[in-house]
Amino acid sequence: GIDRPRGVPASKASYYKPGETFKCITDGKTIPFEYINDDYCDCDDGSDEPGTSACPMMMFYCENKGHKPEYILSSRYNDGICDCCDGSDEFGGEKIQCQNFCEEIGRKDREDRERLILLQTEGFKVKLSYIQLGQSLQQEKKARLTEIASEKDTYEKLKTDLEAKKNEAEAPEKEAKEKHEKAWEEEKEKKKAVKERETALMAFDEIDANDDQHVEIHEMLLHPEFDIDSDGTVSHDEAKEYLEELERAGQDEFLEKIWPNIKEIFKSKKFSDDVKEVETTESTTEQKEPEVKPQPKRDNWAKHEYGDDDDEDEEEDDEELEDEDYDATTPPPPVEEVPEDKMPDYDEETQKLIDAAEQARNEFNDADRKVKDTENEINTVRQYLDIDFGPEFEYGSLKGQCFEMTDREYTYKLCPFDKASQRPKNGGSETSLGNWGHWSGSEADKYSAMKYEKGQNCWSGPDRSVEVILQCGTENLLLSASEPSRCEYRFDFATPARCIDPATLQPSPKDTHDEL
Amino acid sequence: VQRDNFKTCEQSSFCKRQRAYQPAQSPYVALEDSLKITSNTIDIQLLNKDNNVRFLLTIFGLQDNMFRIKMNELSPIKERYEIPVGDALKEEPAQQKINFAGKDKDKFVIKMSNHKLLLSLSPFRIDAYTDETPVMSLNSQGLLKFEQMRIKPEAKPPADDSADENGEEANPQEAVENQEEKVKEEKKEDETGMWEETFKTFTDSKPHGPSSIGIDVSFPGFENVYGIPEHADTMALKTTKSTDPYRLFNLDVFEYDLYNPMALYGAVPLMYAHNEDRTVGIFWHNAAETWIDISSNTADKSVFSHIADFVKGNNEIPQTDTHWFSESGVIDVFLLLGPTPRDVFKQYSRLTGTTQLPPLYSLAYHQCRWNYNDQDDVKAVDANFDKFDIPFDVIWLDIEHTDGKKYFTWAHDKFPTPEEMIKNLSVKGRKLVTIVDPHLKREDGYSVYTDARDRGFLIKNKDGNDYEGWCWPGSSSWPDFTNPVVREWWADKFALSEYKGSTPDLIVWNDMNEPSVFNGPEITFHKDVKHYNNFENRDLHNIYGMYVHQATMEGLVKRSGGKERSFVLTRAFFAGSQRYSAVWTGDNIGEWSHLKVSIPMVLSLNLAGITFSGADVGGFFKNPDPELLTRWYQTGAFYPFFRAHAHLDTRRREPYLLPEENIKIVREALRLRYSLLPYYYTLFYQAEEDGLPIFRPLWVDYPKDKDVFKIDDQFLIGSSLLVKPVTDQGQTNVNVYFPGKDNVWYDIDTYQTYDGSMTINVPAPLDKIPVYQKGGSIIARKLRPRRSSSLMYQDPFTLIVCLDKQGKAEGELYVDDYHSFQYKNGDYIHRQFIFNKNTLSSKNIDPKGQFNTREWIEKIIIVGFPNEPKKITIANSSGENSRILGFQYNENNKSLTIRKPGDNIADIWTLVIV
Repeated sequence: GIDRPRGVPASKASYYKPGETFKCITDGKTIPFEYINDDYCDCDDGSDEPGTSACPMMMFYCENKGHKPEYILSSRYNDGICDCCDGSDEFGGEKIQCQNFCEEIGRKDREDRERLILLQTEGFKVKLSYIQLGQSLQQEKKARLTEIASEKDTYEKLKTDLEAKKNEAEAPEKEAKEKHEKAWEEEKEKKKAVKERETALMAFDEIDANDDQHVEIHEMLLHPEFDIDSDGTVSHDEAKEYLEELERAGQDEFLEKIWPNIKEIFKSKKFSDDVKEVETTESTTEQKEPEVKPQPKRDNWAKHEYGDDDDEDEEEDDEELEDEDYDATTPPPPVEEVPEDKMPDYDEETQKLIDAAEQARNEFNDADRKVKDTENEINTVRQYLDIDFGPEFEYGSLKGQCFEMTDREYTYKLCPFDKASQRPKNGGSETSLGNWGHWSGSEADKYSAMKYEKGQNCWSGPDRSVEVILQCGTENLLLSASEPSRCEYRFDFATPARCIDPATLQPSPKDTHDEL
Repeated sequence: VQRDNFKTCEQSSFCKRQRAYQPAQSPYVALEDSLKITSNTIDIQLLNKDNNVRFLLTIFGLQDNMFRIKMNELSPIKERYEIPVGDALKEEPAQQKINFAGKDKDKFVIKMSNHKLLLSLSPFRIDAYTDETPVMSLNSQGLLKFEQMRIKPEAKPPADDSADENGEEANPQEAVENQEEKVKEEKKEDETGMWEETFKTFTDSKPHGPSSIGIDVSFPGFENVYGIPEHADTMALKTTKSTDPYRLFNLDVFEYDLYNPMALYGAVPLMYAHNEDRTVGIFWHNAAETWIDISSNTADKSVFSHIADFVKGNNEIPQTDTHWFSESGVIDVFLLLGPTPRDVFKQYSRLTGTTQLPPLYSLAYHQCRWNYNDQDDVKAVDANFDKFDIPFDVIWLDIEHTDGKKYFTWAHDKFPTPEEMIKNLSVKGRKLVTIVDPHLKREDGYSVYTDARDRGFLIKNKDGNDYEGWCWPGSSSWPDFTNPVVREWWADKFALSEYKGSTPDLIVWNDMNEPSVFNGPEITFHKDVKHYNNFENRDLHNIYGMYVHQATMEGLVKRSGGKERSFVLTRAFFAGSQRYSAVWTGDNIGEWSHLKVSIPMVLSLNLAGITFSGADVGGFFKNPDPELLTRWYQTGAFYPFFRAHAHLDTRRREPYLLPEENIKIVREALRLRYSLLPYYYTLFYQAEEDGLPIFRPLWVDYPKDKDVFKIDDQFLIGSSLLVKPVTDQGQTNVNVYFPGKDNVWYDIDTYQTYDGSMTINVPAPLDKIPVYQKGGSIIARKLRPRRSSSLMYQDPFTLIVCLDKQGKAEGELYVDDYHSFQYKNGDYIHRQFIFNKNTLSSKNIDPKGQFNTREWIEKIIIVGFPNEPKKITIANSSGENSRILGFQYNENNKSLTIRKPGDNIADIWTLVIV
């Protein structure tokens, strides 16, 4: 209770001893004592005007009896607004009469504080179990990692063994199969030669119009396919050319010398049904560019096309556009293979070898899959272990869970350490708002916020992202979702993992920034 | 911009016809016999010899050195549109006696004080002289072309037409009677687009046919012309030889391009010509679509045969020729004869009025975004500004605040208790702006619409049904603001009882009032829609937007029973808009080039009387990086209208979201603006009387310095501050031109001095705005930072006295209650401070004003004071109560800081330095 100038806290009262002069606190300048709080700034540090607005960077101290003392910017002193609960910042009194409501807000503040402590206490209890769970999950995962690594070793060894066995079984299998297939090939060749001869003989008979068992020039003239220069008639020379300069040829000569040269061009009238023309399977129609309709560009309309369902419209447009891509001319179905004679089944001996090899292959594949499965699991576990679940792993148990809330239009979903999304309340597809990125709290309090990023892209804007602001709660609850900036979302999420030990909180609403 | 949405001159049939008109000799002659002289006017008939149509030309002498020249058809078959007096013209201009001094050769001589007009009879032309120096001439190039109203000719087979034309050309000698002559002339004209015109998919029905008017105006001896906003172009207008003419046609242009003559949101058909000897201007009183061609014998590097004969053989004299043409209406040209810059601004302000002194908060900083999402968002932004100790006065709500884009309503889920939201702002002296656009959603449950519909207040299409177009709400209709009764009806919608959720602290923003019609030709009305008195939009398009914001402002003033000044922002404007609203330069882009062009754009608006104007800080579209945003705040802090705005698709960019270093710089820029509010307020008070630009080109104050005529990257605020903002990325030095041969300029941060008539390269790191106070000036500032301007109203002043080379300085300060119309009843203080011979005195320069205030003088800083004084005393008017004042002298920058005079701002005192 010493007398001190307006706006000065007790802790600073010693600087302001009434007397002839006053020494500015930091710059050491000396001024008459009556210059203190005379509404003119003399000291560079502002210390001569603790209770006026004359020094812009000064702080005004309100005692706020019944609540807690605080400093306000001296520019808020005597500006017509009651900033301190005791009203001491409005000294002029012309513009405004401030009420002292420190008792009231002090009480409320204490109540709030008690509620907060209660919440933290309750939440912290849960958090302890989360820590335990998180840590045991860590242990579990680490243990599992060791375990699975050894499993992987086992499977890899097994795989190596089985691969050898497989190779062993496959060698005789291959030999037997090849033998069988080669025999079949030879059989096919024979059949083909016979068929070729039949065709040739039929052609011979057909050309040999007078049935004298010789093909002669004048008989050749009747077959327009021998018209080499395409002048419409088969000339004597042309016929002779095909007859290999002979006047006439008997059956053997025909088969040996002439048929090989004409078989590609000879067109049987009789057997035209049998002779397959080689069709070109290539489509003659050029592949057309899918016609892209000009998108209605965002010109003047753009400004007008906005709104909550705008993105969805855009996306639909995009999809339509993509669909049109698929609308390209479909190629004609492949021409059916001419059914060949079927290869006869393997003999019993060969089949046995095949069965044995097949079994070895299956066993090998099983082992291989197991190796891959264990590799995948190792990756998953490693990924989990790479995530920062908080200093005490208190967030570890949140992974794998999802939390939802619904507002006027959307249901928002948060799957911690995984992803965030929204979907329209009235149905419709889910939009990704982002995937787990990193902790994004301030340097001093890194675990106060999470960032989910690289969600679905916004038209002419960024990829969607979410900042999740965490607060202490007795249970996990997605409290609210908003979009403060286009496509940059904010979730508020309550979780026991964010609660702090109430022991560190214990109330002492003491003035903590008591300095100039 | 998507250019093909907007017409080129070639695509506008009247523009094409007028631009192509190049007769060997003007066919218009004045008929001597028809001359009628009264004391203030002269009437004479004109005849177009090509078609025998007669016109009436009236010349008025006007007070303040102006002539008005009006020309209309003598007996039009349909009344031609004239803008009603009281709309663009604030009242019937006061006339002045003129002397008809008889005939000199074939010219009539009309005198008015030291000015005269020479009216040549055949061909008709008018030359204006001041003190025997030619300053302007009309029709000296013979481009006068006045398309008379006519009956639509019977359609003929097109083959006939061309045969006729060919025939005529083949037989030019053929004798014809007058009657036939007329027919011939009409046929000779290119009739394409005269009776119907198509642009893209839009057809303009043109029921009244061609009606355009045009005339050339030459400025002999002038190289530089300015004005005719709004264009995204340099301040000094450019020749249009190789481009389209400058176009005036109010349009909603998406992502507008820079440095071209395309039309934008507003139109002021006012042009000034300036040279070292004089300034003159012309005001083209016409609200139809208008194009202006500019050519210059110096800029175009060729000498025109049309150079006026008074050039007397010296064809090296520079001359700017302009050619004005409008789609309809009458020729109504005001010749503003100057001769000084101050004179032309006064002349124009006598015609169309000045900006009423705005309430102080509207000169402070405005925080806008499309959109602040809900009440909590508004609350959070308000709280964050305080948390980061950044001042602001007004927060704005864009279209999303409404229920389905129905203006005067609220989206109740987001804004359930608007009154409470506004109260949370107004306790800190802050205001809320809501947007109110002129398009009305056509919805049966929307009473503003149904009311307008049922009363027949909606604009009609050519068939007489309510016009329908698309805008924000979808299908919309527009009230016909050209009807005074509709304006009154609209004004009443702002009554607190009508506009639910509004309070006296809610003010209004009119956007889209060109108007913007998404599915209309050139994104606006069809030209054949019908307005009041059966005129078409073609006749008055450019003034529609002004009627919207005029009615809005009248509503807001009416709401307070006529007691409170209010605030409206508009995007569309016309000559006279300055009387009602502030204007911003529309939807700019967050790019350096748009920051740079904002300076010439705001300069041009200020020249055209629209002093209360600015560009969106940060740029509406796209995301400016911190450097650009910071530089934009540093520039914007000097726009008379200072608002940040951002598109819905942009990231949040309230200044407190910037990196810490940038926050600090932006906070300083804002505090600088707030500290200068008394200066801005005083300038606005003065401008209400004299119409001077506030954001001012250098040539206004340095009219004889040729080097400043084209400078549009630096500017003056009033006469006392020179500003050269940094508008280039990464720039940390700028060249500043310091005008005035005998001047000295003081850096306002360091008091470093710079001599006039020099260009100096000065450092300008990111935290520096190059701003200089003129030696010889005194500026009263308020240096205590507060959260909003209204919280500063009792704060003390600091006088910054910057001495000139003779050790003199003077300045003015205007003070009132900062918000009401009581100043009109004498509740104000208008002080003058004079420093001379080491004595500073405060005088009352307007004894009519009396006002009680607690504002006082806390400090006086005298800069450029040569050495440390011995003693400083202050005494009241009668020399009593003499007190000795403390002081500090800074040898380094020659500044003398005088401690706490303490006098009330209304006191008369004298301070003596020994």
